[in-house]
Amino acid sequence: MLRRNVRLRREYLYRKSLEGKERLLYEKKRKIKQALEEGKPIPTELRNEDAALRQEIDLEDERTAVPRSTIDDEYANANERDPKILLTTSHDPSAPLKQFVKSYCAEKQIFNGSYLQELKLVFPNSQRMNRGGQVISEIIETCRAHDFTDVILVYEHRGVPDKIVISHLPFGPTAYFQILNVVTRHDNKDKKEMGTVSEAYPHLILNNFSTKIGERTANILKHLFPVPKPDSKRIITFANQADYISFRQSGGPKSIDLKEVGPRFELRLYQIKLGTVDQEEAQTEWVLRSFINTSKKQKVLGG
Amino acid sequence: MAAIPSAGVEALHRLKLTEPPMYLTPSSELATAARIASEHLFASLKPYTPKSPFDRLLVDEKFDAEQIWQQIDLQSQPLISAIRRQVNKFEKDSQELKDIFKSGESDKEQKRELVLEEKEEEEDDDEEDEDEDDELDDESNEEEDEDEIEEDESRDGERERKERGGVGVEDKFLNIQEMKEFMEDDEAREYGVNKKKQVVKKMSRKFGEDDEEEDDDEDDDDELGVLELAGEEDMSDAEDARYEDFFTSTKKRDQSKKPKVSEKVEDIDISDEEETEDSDTGDEDDDGMGSDDEMKIDNLSTHEKQLLEQRAKIEEVERENLEAKSWTMQGEVNATKRPKNSALEVDLDWERNAKPPPVITEEVSQSIEELIMKRISEGHFDDVQKAPSLPSKAPREMKELDENQSKKGLGEIYADEYAQKTGLVSQALSFSDEQKKEASLLFKKLCLKLDALSHFHFTPKPVIEDMSIQTNVPALAMEEIAPLAVSDAAMLAPEEVFSGKGDIKEEAELTQEDRKRRRAHKKRKFKAENAKTIAKKPRERTETAADGKEES
Repeated sequence: MLRRNVRLRREYLYRKSLEGKERLLYEKKRKIKQALEEGKPIPTELRNEDAALRQEIDLEDERTAVPRSTIDDEYANANERDPKILLTTSHDPSAPLKQFVKSYCAEKQIFNGSYLQELKLVFPNSQRMNRGGQVISEIIETCRAHDFTDVILVYEHRGVPDKIVISHLPFGPTAYFQILNVVTRHDNKDKKEMGTVSEAYPHLILNNFSTKIGERTANILKHLFPVPKPDSKRIITFANQADYISFRQSGGPKSIDLKEVGPRFELRLYQIKLGTVDQEEAQTEWVLRSFINTSKKQKVLGG
Repeated sequence: MAAIPSAGVEALHRLKLTEPPMYLTPSSELATAARIASEHLFASLKPYTPKSPFDRLLVDEKFDAEQIWQQIDLQSQPLISAIRRQVNKFEKDSQELKDIFKSGESDKEQKRELVLEEKEEEEDDDEEDEDEDDELDDESNEEEDEDEIEEDESRDGERERKERGGVGVEDKFLNIQEMKEFMEDDEAREYGVNKKKQVVKKMSRKFGEDDEEEDDDEDDDDELGVLELAGEEDMSDAEDARYEDFFTSTKKRDQSKKPKVSEKVEDIDISDEEETEDSDTGDEDDDGMGSDDEMKIDNLSTHEKQLLEQRAKIEEVERENLEAKSWTMQGEVNATKRPKNSALEVDLDWERNAKPPPVITEEVSQSIEELIMKRISEGHFDDVQKAPSLPSKAPREMKELDENQSKKGLGEIYADEYAQKTGLVSQALSFSDEQKKEASLLFKKLCLKLDALSHFHFTPKPVIEDMSIQTNVPALAMEEIAPLAVSDAAMLAPEEVFSGKGDIKEEAELTQEDRKRRRAHKKRKFKAENAKTIAKKPRERTETAADGKEES
C-alpha cells in the first residue's frame, strides 16, 4: 500500500511536470487550428513542426484535445466510480452535533423519539463513524485502506455545527466551509408531517458558480453524489449568492414538489488546499482574506 | 383642707403599715382608713383633671365599694388620658422639656401655658364636651381616647402653625416660610455662598464675646441662633434634598429638625466654651482673615469669576494629563491590559470589512424555490456525467443465422470448394474477398509479431484452413516451447543444407589408401585437362621428356 502510494504520487508529479510542455504543445496546435479555420497562413514559428502537429490534430479526439490540468486531475477518475463517503465529527461531539451528522448519513432510518438523522441522509452511499480518540492521520489511513473517495468532518460550537471539511481522498483537494444559519429537520417541522426522506440518488442544482474557484467548488460538491437516475424525484440545491452557498433539499420519494425536506444551512468557503486533510503543509489553492479593504466587493465564487 | 390632707396622709400611712394578711379579714378601721385615703387622693388629683362631675369623692358609709370605685374611675380615666397626652407632647417637644428643666420658672410657665391653652380650647369645645359628658357613662373609654387623641393632634397642629405664623395657602406640602428660606438659600448659593456663613460667623463671634450671658439672653440668642442655624441647616438640606423633606408629614420634619437644631445649639455651646478656654486672639484672627477673603470674593466682577473658573478647569485638565490615561485612550489594548468586563461597558463601534452573514428571510427562500422550479421545468441539472468509456474490445460481429435450408447439397458445396482451391475454376474473386484476405493476412502477421514481443502471451502460429501442405514448416513447431526468435525449429536440418554426396571424411580421418586414391584422382583430372590443351598446340615437340611422366 505504501509502495502503491509512492508510485501514484510519482506519477502525479510526472504528469505535473509534463503539464508545462503539454500546455505549449496545446498552444501550438490551437494556433494551427485557428489558422486553418480562418484560412490564414500558418505562423512562421510553427512552419517546421507544422506537418507533425497537423497529423496529431487529425488524430485527436475530444478527450485528448484539451490539455489536462493536474489540478482537476483528482476528479478524472471520479466519473467512473460511485463516491463512497465517510462522515465523522470533531473529538467529543455533543448530542445535537451527533444528530446533525446522523441526519446526513444514509443508514437505515429509524424514527425514534430520541434522534433524527440529518446529514447522513443527505449523502447517499455514506457511512458515519464515531470519532472517539482517533487522530486525523489514522482516519485517512483507514479510509485509504477501505477505498473511500471522500471524508467529511463536521465541527461544532456549543451544539451548533459551525465548520465542515470535505476532503477528496486519493490526494484530492480539501475544502473548508463555515456553516451558518442551520435549521435542522428537527426544528423545521414535526416528524409526522415530514415523513421519511427519500434515499434515491438526487439530482443536483448548482447555481451561480461562475468563476474559476466557483467551478472548482462546484466540482468538489458535485462529486460527493453519485450519478442519479433520470427519473429521480429528489433534488439537492447549492445556490451561491454573494459567496454564501445555500443548501436546500427538496422532493419526496414519489413526486417532485418543492416541499422542503431535510436540513437547510448556509456554507461559506474559506480555504481550498491541494492535499488531504492530514497534509497540513500542502499548497493552498485559495484562502479567504477578509481583512483587505476590498473584501466586501469581492465575489469569489461567482455572482 | 389642711386637716383633711393630713388626715388623708395619716390614713395612707396606716394603710401602708398594715400587713397584707390583715386585709383578708374585713375590718371597719381599715375600711374607714381606705375611704379617707381615697378621698384625699381624689382631692389632690382634682386640680389636674379636666372634667370631673364631683368636687370631692363621696365616700360616706352608705356608699358601696362599687360606687366609690366608679367615682374614682370617672376621675382617673380622663386624668390618665390627659397625662398620656402630656407625655406624648413632651416626647415630641423635648426642647420644651429641656426648657422646663433648665429654668424652673419657665417650666411652670409652660405648664401654665399648657393648662391655659387647654382651657381655651376647652372653652371652645364646650358644647362637644357637654355632649361627651352626657354620653360618658355609656361610651367606652376607647372611643373617648380616640376623640381626645384627634383633638390633641389638631391642637398640636394649631399650636405649631401659630408658632410659625403661616397664613392662607398652606398644607402639609407647601409651607411659605420654608419656601422663603429655600429661595434665600438658592440666591445665596448663586451669588456667594458666604453671606449666611458670614452671618453665622458673626453670630459665633457674638457668642464668643458674650461668654457669660444670662439665661434670658441665652434664650434669646438661642432662639435667634435657632432661626439662623435653621437657615444654615436648610441650605445644607437643600443640597441633600430627600424624599422625607417633601412627602412626609410635618411632625417628622420637626422631629428631624429640632434635634439637629438642638445639636447645633449644643455645638455652639461647646464652641463657646472652647473659645473661652483657648486663646481668643488666634481664633479671632482666623475669623478676621476668613472674613476678609469672603469680603474680597464678594467684590469680584463676573469676568473675574469666569477667570477663576477657567483657571480651576485648567488645573483639573492638567492634573488629568499627569495621571495615567484610561484604557480606552491607550491605543491597542489587549484583554490583559484592561479591567475585567470593561469592554462591555464601552460603546464600541468600528468599520468592519467582512460581509455580514446573510439573514434568511422569506424572500430569499422564495427566490431559491423559484430557481429550483425553473430548473425542474427545464430539466437542467448539474449532475455528474458518466464518462463514455473507450471500447477495449471490438463489438462482436453478430452473425445472423440463416434459417432457410440451403438449396445446394452438401456434396455440391464441397465440390465447389475443391474446385476453387485447386484453381480449376477460375472464379472472379470479388473485391472484398481479396481485400479481406489481404487484411486478414496482414493482421495475422502483425499479431504474430506482437506476440513475439510479449513473452507471456505466446500464441502458436495460426492454423491454416486450407488443406495444402506448406513447404518448410518445421515438424516440431507445435511442440516447441522456446520463443520463436530463439528456437531453432525453423532452421533447416543439416542433411537438407548438405548438397554433397556420400560419406564425407576430414583430412585427419583419411587413411593412406584414401590419400593415394585422392592424389591419383587429382592427377588424372589435371592430366585430362593438360591433354586437351597439348592436343590443341602443334606436334613439334618430341617424345623425349614424356616417358617418365607417361608411365606414371
